Amino acid sequence: MNKIFLFVPLILVMLISIFCLVFLLQGKDPSKPPSALLYKNLPDFDIINLFDDADVISNKDLKGRIMLINFFASWCSPCKVEHPLFFEIKKKYPNILLIGIDYKDKQEEAINYLNTMGNPYDYVGMDNKGLIGLELGVFGLPETFIVNSKGIITYKHLGPLTKKIITNEFAPFIQ
Amino acid sequence: MISLIGFSGLILSFIFNVIVIVSYYYKINQRFNHIFYLALYCSLFFMCLSFFALMFAYISSDFSNFNVFQNSHSSKPLLYKITGTWGNHEGSMLLWLLIMSLYNVFFSFNITLEDHVRKLTIVFQSFLYLCFSLFVILTSNPFLVNSIDSNEGLGLNPILQDPALAIHPPVLYIGYVGFSLILSLALAGLILNQLDNLWIQVIKRWAMFCWLMLTGGIALGSYWAYYELGWGGWWFWDPVENVSLMPWITGLALVHSLMITKQEQLLKRWVVFLSILCFSLSILGTFLVRSGILTSVHSFAADASRGIFILILFLTITGFSFIIFILKSPHSNKQINLLFINKTSALIINNIVMLIACITILLGTIYPIIIEVLTNKRMSVGAPYYNSTVLPILLPGFLIMSIAPMLSWQSNKLDKIKNYIYILIVTSILTLLITYLTKFNIWGFTGTILGLWIIAASLLSILHNCLKYKFKKFFIYNNALIAHMGVGIMIIGITFSSIFQTKNNFTIQTGEIVNSGQYSLQLKNLKIEEKNNFQELLGIFLLHKKNEFLTTIKSSKRYYYVSKVITTEAGIYHDWFQDFYLVLGNEKNNKWSITIYHNPLVSFIWIGVMIMIFSGMVGIFKR
Repeated sequence: MNKIFLFVPLILVMLISIFCLVFLLQGKDPSKPPSALLYKNLPDFDIINLFDDADVISNKDLKGRIMLINFFASWCSPCKVEHPLFFEIKKKYPNILLIGIDYKDKQEEAINYLNTMGNPYDYVGMDNKGLIGLELGVFGLPETFIVNSKGIITYKHLGPLTKKIITNEFAPFIQ
Repeated sequence: MISLIGFSGLILSFIFNVIVIVSYYYKINQRFNHIFYLALYCSLFFMCLSFFALMFAYISSDFSNFNVFQNSHSSKPLLYKITGTWGNHEGSMLLWLLIMSLYNVFFSFNITLEDHVRKLTIVFQSFLYLCFSLFVILTSNPFLVNSIDSNEGLGLNPILQDPALAIHPPVLYIGYVGFSLILSLALAGLILNQLDNLWIQVIKRWAMFCWLMLTGGIALGSYWAYYELGWGGWWFWDPVENVSLMPWITGLALVHSLMITKQEQLLKRWVVFLSILCFSLSILGTFLVRSGILTSVHSFAADASRGIFILILFLTITGFSFIIFILKSPHSNKQINLLFINKTSALIINNIVMLIACITILLGTIYPIIIEVLTNKRMSVGAPYYNSTVLPILLPGFLIMSIAPMLSWQSNKLDKIKNYIYILIVTSILTLLITYLTKFNIWGFTGTILGLWIIAASLLSILHNCLKYKFKKFFIYNNALIAHMGVGIMIIGITFSSIFQTKNNFTIQTGEIVNSGQYSLQLKNLKIEEKNNFQELLGIFLLHKKNEFLTTIKSSKRYYYVSKVITTEAGIYHDWFQDFYLVLGNEKNNKWSITIYHNPLVSFIWIGVMIMIFSGMVGIFKR
């Protein structure tokens, strides 16, 4: 009788491990909180063209195409890492509208940055006060959103993109 | 370059620990005796080298190191560059290894234990070191080279830029990781069948030390949460808090059980079980936090492969230990009679209470995982669960604590019971009167009376001791009782600050005065200050109590440029009996919203903890 009790901790350890293992293998990641905006309409906002202050467009004008919105800045190092990938995205999916939003940055530095790194975006907006970022709940750079043709946010990624993410995770939303 | 030195140190330290184990295996040959200890010291040396290499990389802002690049920034103050070393997953695991290695070497200087027990303990500790070292090398290497060329880093989580939090991890780890030595000692004692008095004497000291450090670490963490998070409280039943609380509770049970084992020669099996349990819970906690399986304020970068690795470590180490426990567990020839009303049975009942509390917390912590696996629904277990389960479980424990001093060790006889009964009745009537005349709250009443009973009974016992020993070696004879007084003070602090806390919201303009309780608060001015790596919106308030000027309180919000995070710095005015806690909110139409908390007796919590740690330290050094 007494001996049976000795097995209790071992059995408990096994059970806890099994549950945790199953949890891990299911690939659930609670560190990615579901964004409050996911599967909702893209909030309305106006964007000022980075290269031309007078050119203002509203994102309502852009509906009808799949959009990829990328928040970047000249001061952001990981943005430099993911930057070349946008050229590849552009090449691979020519239909999508690539929008870059320069977040909390100086205009001339951002222009300088795009001149040296190249400009993959169809349209570059300026958000030097972080207002658009606030609308979209941006809290770290880089951040990337995919908006479908009905103007609904279908995907959000925090941190620099990688080739793996683009091939594995983007595909269903882009095609 | 510096990364290379660090990584080499890590590898060499690993190799030397292998040598320690191998040379033990060939112990028949006496020549290997020197190699055994030499390898042990070398492993510590190279571990230190590795750790300080990382620290140097942080101090010199060497962004060619990926870890430094991700977690540091050149504009950070020097202190936080240093503490940044352990402010991230990889660096903190390196600290973990350093502490394991330090424990191993310090333990090797022990001369109380017999040679073969000491050596086997060192071997087990080296084995544990190897496991975790492998984890660091394979999944969390802090010496990776940065693949992009950068002359600026991404910055440390700004919420961590705080002196209390800078020393919180090392202190916590000294306790948390120290339990590995307790596990090694338990395994060595089990395998060699050497669970004798010497073994108990040695494990008692080390367990006490680890447990006190863990206490200090947890207290620092909750003190930080109190003034940095700006939520007005100090304990939030956050998963990370819970996983540090579980080994703390079992450690508490262990430290107390070791008292009885020394007095009674009983319960060795129980002591060994607790020794294994403490470190098992430490590893489980590490797993839950580092795998990112639970979300909390302590966000480490989540990585499934890391999670699986630690899970395997947990399963191997804990499984192995419990199998040894089943095979070699000692038999006690004497049966314990719980019908006795003496200190031994009181301690055993308290042990059971603590274990139940620990299981309750464990259940609450892993329940979301079980539910998500079984039903695919996400849910979270929060403070209401813990408050309504853990607290009632702890109550009988506190009750026993308050009557324990009047019990004797061996016999069923009650010592000088009259005095105790009088003093308990007097305190009860007084408390009842006071609470009845003011705000009566059943929880507040229960907490206060239990705390007062514990203090009163301990004081009376100290008095008896003083009459007996005439103040000779006052602290040595009374350290346990003093520690219990600390607990009583802490219970009162916890009760008051959580039950009688008041919270008021105001909007305030510059120059305006608001009244809250006996205090009146005037917003003198608001200014924006540019600091090295953050911008601070500083509100300067004048605090008056009954028209008498007390102090200026600064409450601020900080915006950290690099990580783009806003933090709140609560303004706190510490009074002995009440904390005035002020949080600056948002602006609307030139008016600022502020939240004022009155937290009664919060300082009692910290005082209680300090008393516990101090008297515990005395306990380590007493003969």
